[in-house]
Amino acid sequence: MNLHAFSEWLSATAFSQKIQITSWAIPGIQTVHLLAIAALFAAALVVALRIGGRGLASEPLPSVARRFGRAIWMLLVVLLVSGSLLIVAEPGRTITNPVFYLKMTMVVLACVITIWLANVARRELERPAAIHVAAAAFTMILWTGVIFAGRFIAYVESY
Amino acid sequence: MNMQFFEWLQNTPLATTVSENWFPWVESAHVLFMAIVAGTILIVDTRLLGLTSHQLRVSYLADRMLPWTWGAFTGSVITGFLMFAAGATNYVHNTPFLVKMCLLVLAGINMLYFQLVTFRTVGRWDAGRPPQAARMAGLTSILLWIGVIGFARWTGFV
Repeated sequence: MNLHAFSEWLSATAFSQKIQITSWAIPGIQTVHLLAIAALFAAALVVALRIGGRGLASEPLPSVARRFGRAIWMLLVVLLVSGSLLIVAEPGRTITNPVFYLKMTMVVLACVITIWLANVARRELERPAAIHVAAAAFTMILWTGVIFAGRFIAYVESY
Repeated sequence: MNMQFFEWLQNTPLATTVSENWFPWVESAHVLFMAIVAGTILIVDTRLLGLTSHQLRVSYLADRMLPWTWGAFTGSVITGFLMFAAGATNYVHNTPFLVKMCLLVLAGINMLYFQLVTFRTVGRWDAGRPPQAARMAGLTSILLWIGVIGFARWTGFV
């Protein structure tokens, strides 16, 4: 079964149909998705700034990384659930859309670097190396890319 | 309402360039700025509610977050204005958009009241549990921002 056939099957399921005919469902789920990405972006920004010696600079790095790291993972779960519901509701808009795959690639990459940085932070590094600062900055570029790609899914044609 | 102004605005070269070429980029930048505004406000609001960052003084957290909030808010206003100009004659009749703007004004009043009145006594509760007025300000802010983002998203569906 190819992606197009899967997409058609998925959008014909009773659950997908239920979301599609509920007028407030898609903007409602998108609002949850937006609130979660806003909170995740800010939490990631606080961690990245702290690694760069800015923001909550008077706080120990392990404490900042642990507290905001926990928020990042909880918000990722919210994003995955709300995002999955949006795919089920409109599979033709996403799973055959190249921008969606670009977005998912950036999400995975950002998560991998975040896990690595969380491990670095746990070792109580008082002065993170240049590579860690660069990696933290790169995660913010990736999350920015995720936000742009998320919006561009609506503008780029599915194949 | 004087529609001539909105028609003029929508037909300015800047507005037509946005609607014909830049709209997805401006909209994405608007979402990015919104994320920084709402996200940093949420970090301060949950501290006011006593849910997070207990070990940080409220004044320190606010001092570290609010420059990002205001910087990104400036970006939101600029990108928001460009999007509005691109479809001004429609947006002035778009109910979710008008509700969003009202909620945004209420969020501003809530923040102003907190800054000018409640925050004046911060010395007494900076390191501990904020008083009821501060907790109410935090909760009100969270609810208003959920509304702002919800009605903003709904704007695009009308």
